[in-house]
Order: sequence, then C-alpha cells, then structure tokens
Amino acid sequence: MKKSAILGIIVIAVAIAVIISTYSNSSTYGSFKDAEQTKSELHIVGHLNKEKPLYYDATKDANYFSFYMKDNKGEECKVVFTGTKPQDFERSEQIVLTGQMQGSEFHANKILMKCPSKYTQDKVEISGAATPTKQASI
Amino acid sequence: MNIDFKGEHLLPGHLGQFFIVLSFGSALLATISYYFATTQTNKLDLSWFRLARLSFYINTVSVVAIGCCLFYIIYNNLFEYHYAWAHSSRTLPVYYIISSYWEGQEGSFWLWTFWQAMLGNILMWKAKSWEKPVMTVVGLSQTLLASMLIGVELFGTRVGSSPFILLRDAVPGPIFSQPNYLDFIKDGNGLNPLLQNYWMVIHPPTLFLGFASMIVPFAYAVAGLWQKRYKEWINPAISYSLFAVMVLGTGIIMGSFWAYESLNFGGFWAWDPVENASLIPWLVLVAALHVLIVYKNSGHSYFTATFLTLLSFVLVLYASFLTRSGILGETSVHAFTDLGMFWHLVLDVVIFLGITIGVLVWRWKELPISRKEEETYSREFWMFVGSAFLGLSCLQLVIVTSIPVWNAMFKTHIAPPANPVSLYNVFQAGFAFIVTLFLGFTQFLKYKKTDTTRFFITTLVYLAFAALITAVIVWVSGVYKLKFVFILVMLGAVYGVMANAKILAAALKGKIKLAGSAVAHIGFSLLLIGALIAAGTSKIVSQNDKGMIEVKGFDKVADVRENIMLYKNEPVNMGNYKVTYVGDSLVAPNHYFKVLYQKLDVNGKVQEQFVLKPNSQANMKMGLVSSPDTKHYLFHDLYTHVSAAPIKEEENLTAGSTSAEHGGGDEDKNYEPPVTHEVRIGDTIRYREGYIVLRNLNKQPKIQNIPLGTNDVAIGAELEVVAHGHTYQAEPIFMIKDNNTFDFPRKVDDAGLKLRFSKVIPAENKFEITVYQQPERMKSYIVMRAIDFPYINFFWAGTIIMVIGFLMSIFRRNSELKVS
Repeated sequence: MKKSAILGIIVIAVAIAVIISTYSNSSTYGSFKDAEQTKSELHIVGHLNKEKPLYYDATKDANYFSFYMKDNKGEECKVVFTGTKPQDFERSEQIVLTGQMQGSEFHANKILMKCPSKYTQDKVEISGAATPTKQASI
Repeated sequence: MNIDFKGEHLLPGHLGQFFIVLSFGSALLATISYYFATTQTNKLDLSWFRLARLSFYINTVSVVAIGCCLFYIIYNNLFEYHYAWAHSSRTLPVYYIISSYWEGQEGSFWLWTFWQAMLGNILMWKAKSWEKPVMTVVGLSQTLLASMLIGVELFGTRVGSSPFILLRDAVPGPIFSQPNYLDFIKDGNGLNPLLQNYWMVIHPPTLFLGFASMIVPFAYAVAGLWQKRYKEWINPAISYSLFAVMVLGTGIIMGSFWAYESLNFGGFWAWDPVENASLIPWLVLVAALHVLIVYKNSGHSYFTATFLTLLSFVLVLYASFLTRSGILGETSVHAFTDLGMFWHLVLDVVIFLGITIGVLVWRWKELPISRKEEETYSREFWMFVGSAFLGLSCLQLVIVTSIPVWNAMFKTHIAPPANPVSLYNVFQAGFAFIVTLFLGFTQFLKYKKTDTTRFFITTLVYLAFAALITAVIVWVSGVYKLKFVFILVMLGAVYGVMANAKILAAALKGKIKLAGSAVAHIGFSLLLIGALIAAGTSKIVSQNDKGMIEVKGFDKVADVRENIMLYKNEPVNMGNYKVTYVGDSLVAPNHYFKVLYQKLDVNGKVQEQFVLKPNSQANMKMGLVSSPDTKHYLFHDLYTHVSAAPIKEEENLTAGSTSAEHGGGDEDKNYEPPVTHEVRIGDTIRYREGYIVLRNLNKQPKIQNIPLGTNDVAIGAELEVVAHGHTYQAEPIFMIKDNNTFDFPRKVDDAGLKLRFSKVIPAENKFEITVYQQPERMKSYIVMRAIDFPYINFFWAGTIIMVIGFLMSIFRRNSELKVS
C-alpha cells in the first residue's frame, strides 16, 4: 500500500473520531422539566423573572447567587450559582444556563447572558425625548 | 413630511457616502479592467491595464476618504450620525476615539478594505508580471468588501450597512419629529468599557491586516492556475504567506493579551467562537505555508499546497460570516450581532469557495502532481504529515465552533458541548503534541533522502534528553497533576525547542539565512510551554472556605469558591499574602479599588508589599464592568479582579475621607443602636473593632457658618480612633447656643464609625461620647478574585520569538526571490 493511502486513512479516521466525539460531547438544550428527568448537564435557555427577587449578599456569602428564571416553555425554577452576581444581570434579555437539577433548585455552573443593548443600542435613551422640557444631562 | 432639521452636519455624511459608492464602482471597474487586461491577446494594447490601475488608485483614494469622513464625524461628536452616537461619546479620549472607530462592524469592514487597498498598491508596485491576474482577484475581494459598506436599497432589501447612516434614519423615535431633536441628544452611547484598553487601539488593525493579507497568497494561487504558471506562483506566495501568518498570529496574541489585561474571565484564551474564528484561518495558512515549502523543495504535494492556500482565504471569509452574521448568538458573549447581512456574507463565502473549486477542477488534468512516492525518510514527507495534522486540528475547531451553523442547516437542536474548554484543550493538546514532535524531528531529516542510522540516533538522543527535561519541568511546575495528554504536549514542545536550538546553533555558525524557521519553531514551542503551564497550573489564590453552604454532590459541579470578601481596612490572609482593601478612588469613569498585598516572613516582618488597583467602571449605559490589575513577576503573575462591590451607592464615592456632617437624623438607620460612654480625658473607649481615646478638649473648635455669641460655648473632643492598625482623628463638637444644646457629630468612614460629643457632666469632670457603629454589611467592602499564573512570560516571550523567526524567514525568502 502506498504511504499516501495510509496517511489518507489515518486522516479520515481522526476526522471521524473528531466528529463522533463532538457529537457525543455536545449536550442538549432542554427545559427545567427535562433537567428534572436527567442527571447529565443541560443547557437551558430562558429569561430572568424580574418580579422575583435576586439574591446576592456578598457580606453573607460572596459566592452564592440565586434568582428565578423562566425557560422557553414558561416553566419557572430557582437557580443557584456559586459565584458572584454577573454584572448587569438585571438587564439581561436572555440567559443560557449550563448545569443540572439539585432537588428543586437548578445549579448552574455557567451563566451566559445576552444584553443586546450592549452592542446595538437601538433605543434612543434620551431623557429629553419623553419630556422635552427637561434637559438631558447624560 | 419634510422637516427642516436644525444643527445637522450633513456634508461629511454625504461626502462619505459618495466615496463609498465611488470605492465600490472603482473596485468593480478595476476588477473588470484587470480581467480584460489579463485575457486580451494583444500585448501592446495597454488601455485596459491603464484603466485598471487608474480605477484601483481611485479606489484607494476613496477608501482613505471614507476613513477621513468617518473620523471627522466621530472626532467632532456629530451624533446625528448613528455610528458616532452608537460608538462614541464626548468624554472619550482621542486614543479611544480611534478604537471606537472599529467597534462597529462597518468600521472593521472599513479597516479590512483599507488594508486591502494598501496591499493592492504594494502589489501594483512589486508584482510585475503577476500584477494583472493577481489584482483581478484582489479587485474582486475589494469590490465585495465595498458592497458590505454600501448600505443602499436594492429591490426592497438593504445591501450592506453604511457607517454614514443618520441616527434619525437608523432608529425610530418620536423625538425625530422635532426639528431641533439634536438639542436633546447630549451625548453618544460611548465605547464599551471593556474596549477601553490600549490593546484595543492596536489589536484590531493588526488582526485585520492579517486577514487582509491572506488574499495575496490566494490571489497568487488563482493567478498561477489561471495563467498556467503552475510552479512560478509558489515563491512569491511563500513570502506573502509568511507575512500573513506573522501578522495574523501577532494580532491573535494581542487579542489574548487584551483578554488577560482587560476581561475578567481570568485567563488569556477561552476557546470562544470569536477567538476560534481568528485561529482557524491561521492554522490552515500555517499548514499551507509548510506544504508550499515542501513543494518548492521536493516537487511533491502540489495539489495539497494549492488547495490549502486557497482554502485559508475561504476560511477567513467563513470566520467573518461566523462572527458577523449573528449565527453564534447563543454560544458566544461577544459575537457581533446581525446587521441583516446574513445572505450577503454567505454569498461572499460562496463566491470565493466557487473560485477555489472552479480553478482546481478547470486545471485538474494539468496540475503538476507528482506520481512518485515520497521517501519515508525525507523531510518533505513528514512536513506534509505534520501539516495534515494541523489541518485536522483546524477541522476539529471548525466542526465544534460551527454547531450553530449545523443547527441552522440541518434544523437540528444540538447544544454546544457543556464544557467546551476542556474538550478543545484535550483535542488541541493531542494535535499540538504530534505537531511539535514533527517540528522537532523533521529538523534532523533532509529533503529527498536522509541517512537513516544517523537520523535515528540523533532523534532518539534528543528525545531522551527532552524526556528528562520534561520530567523536571512537569515535576516543578505541577503539570503532572493534569491529564496525561498535557504532559505529552510538554514533551513535544521541549523536544521542539531542543531540536530547533540545535539547528539554530548550526545556522549561527554558517548558514544564518536558514535560522528563521528554527527561531519561529522555538518561539511556537515556548508559547505552548508557557500557555500550558500558565493555564494548566494557574491557582485561585483567593480560595474561600468560609460561608459555604454545603449541598450534597454539589462540589463536583462547582469549582472551588473563588471569591473572597474584604472589608475596608480589615486584613485577610490569602495564600502567601496578607491582603487589605485600603481604599478607593474615583477617576471618572473608573472606580479604582486599592488592594494592599503584603508578604510576611516568619517573624511577621513585611518582606514585600505592593498595591494593586483593579477597577470597575460605573458606566451609565452599560452598567458595571470590571477590569483586573496584575502584578507581573518574572516567573509568575498575580492577577486580581473585583467581582462585586457596592459602588452603585453615591455616598460610597466620597468614602475614604473623614467627613463632617450636619444634622440628618434618619441617617442613623445606617448604624447599629448607639452606645454612650462617660469618659474623662485620657480614657479609652473599646468597641468591636478597636478603641477610641479622648486625648484632649479643644476650647475653640471651628464651626462653619455659626457665629458664637458671648454666652455661647463650643467644645471639641479630640478623639483618636484606632482600628485594624490604623489611627484616625475625629473631633465631634458640643455646643451651647442661646441656652440650647447642640452637637455636631463626626464620621470616620474608614472605621465605620459616627461619633457624637453628646453631653458634658461638669460635676464629675466627665464627658459623654456616643458611638455609632456601622453593622458589618454597611461597611465598605469588595469581593475579589485573585489568580496566580505561573510562567506566563514564556507565552509572551514565545510569541515575540516566533514573530522574529517569521521576520527572518521573510527576509530569506525575499532574497531568494531576487536571486531567482
């Protein structure tokens, strides 16, 4: 057999291994309901329930942050994160959590939040806009 | 409805838009003219050629003019333009105006087209017989880039996105029905605080110069196949590939330095999709470069060399699609958002992919593909295999990063790996091991044929030595605690350094021109060693075991608790250091927190002390954004970053001083119930965190704005407060005015105290001092995280050495070009 053929086989084998491992390592998007039924890690997409309290008190425990999130199916669950409250958390429009269920709480080890306003400010936030008599000072 | 708007400066925008259209038209004309100049048979007719050059010059001028108009708009704070309003603000210093310039997509497209115009001019000057076909391809790319900026309506859809769009056209709002709406727009949105870092001034231009320069090897490859000059294009392509690899590599590492200095994720590389997008084309071009050299030296692997060169540019466009189309929305924090250019970007990729496939199929039968087998013991064979593995490592990056693309294409819902960093780390480490091993032992091989016995002896001797040194490094640095594959990478990298050092030593004796590759290889290997130790053995110094809420099984998921809490002026032991949050200062818009680090020896004497000033920016528009501060040592870095602080409260901004206070009784709710003490001069009052001594009485205290009558009395109590090793002075005042008693309390914010001189008891010669103490939670505090990065300087040094190596190689290849 030619060397280039052997090399070709090795390359194809590694490529297949990469694809399989990617597929087996990829987790799934789910809801809180799915999280209750599985022990593996899940990604849950949802948004912050701004009516319920966020709890972060650095003076009690600097590494404990909890909040309530609604997943895309509308189900709500308490989420606990070991770490500090991400900056600007209240403004987030969408949250992607990675983690798993512990009892009735979802324990997240990663929080990815989207604040589109950070990148595309398509709202003119001018205090003068609503009440033109008041001068904006920002 | 036509409103006569007041105060708008429409001229720079109109000019800018005119130049955008001109740059598109001239690029298109240049492409067409260069095409006909290439294909025409009458070699004496120079009309197409002259027209082509003229249009490309016009293109260059208009691209520069676009830049000037945009700069004028941003520099003069013309917020009637959306771009200036969205990315800049009045308070921004000039050097950040430059970085706000490329914060938006339009600005970065401009940067790209600017560099491409510059490169086009260099090619017109240097490329000689290659100019016509090469510039046809460059012109096409320039046309497509210009179309991204054009921002005109075509058949009901907007094509491209112009930086000169007016705010009132870009954003809907009732305010724009008023002619004087500009009076209400006082300031722009400003630049994202994370981008307010000097690396952001130079990282994007470097990165985009790298991206832009990748068109040149692509253009040479296309030109070579098109003009049937199959072998000739390789030599100039090698020089330009070296340049592109060097610049793009530098740009990528600059980005990681920015992440390390300015972002708070605690590291320099996170396998974020945006980072991957810049790495993917780099890896492929590095592979292409090696196969080009293989072909040049041995005549083997022509197809692979051509294919990889062409592919590398297509991957630049694919990377651009990934980061700009918004498709990565759910997987990346900092992927740019969609500007409605999804299909435009797809079209860009498809066109250049089409050219790649087209030229290869068109010339397939004529390609000088060698049918002869390569020798097993030849350098070219193993360089080729090594490049194949570089390609595979890139494949892994592409497949995993593109998960959202697969989802969009196949309507699936695959989530990205739950722990992408470790997945990438393990895979890329495996590839890095193989690649470094190859870049080591290929140095002992010769092109075409090598004496096998000698080769095996040297290789194995060096491998044995490398294993020995690796064992020492792994033991000392603690890398042995990591997965086995990382130890292999270390072995590969050490071996790579040693083998290339041997070549370098030989080159220094005689063939100095050959040293470039050895230096670049050493740099790359050192970079890997540094990255491996720094990322692999970085330690969270600020480990916290206090206040843990134990949840069964939870520890497996969560990392160690990484944040510690520091109250002002209360030292905490952290690792080898005693750290104290000593104060803060406000240099608008940054809020700096001073953290004193002290290293004590056994006797408690201070061996070393320094202050780090991590900061948070209290940005009105974007909220709180923290940036770390780092103490650099030769062999490790101590990185400190504030993850939370109560900085939103206005009153904390003035903290740090002993402030006087008049009245304001309901403020007492900030304190614990007061405790009164009756003391004589010289007596000591103890309280929770220290003690207070009544030193003396001041019979003539200063009281602002209150004139004292003849029967009025005012006395100040000179108090000395000692808390946590600091001494503060405070002088609360007791006053009798018009037969009424008053007192003026004094606050000692740093000690969390308010002190009142509340009564004089003449009979006993005693004085009543009332002590208000702040409860713990009301005191100033910061929550911070500190990480130790050992040997990170290898990473930076490796980068610099690698760049030097590339430079040396470029000089070598250029001198070869002149000889041939």
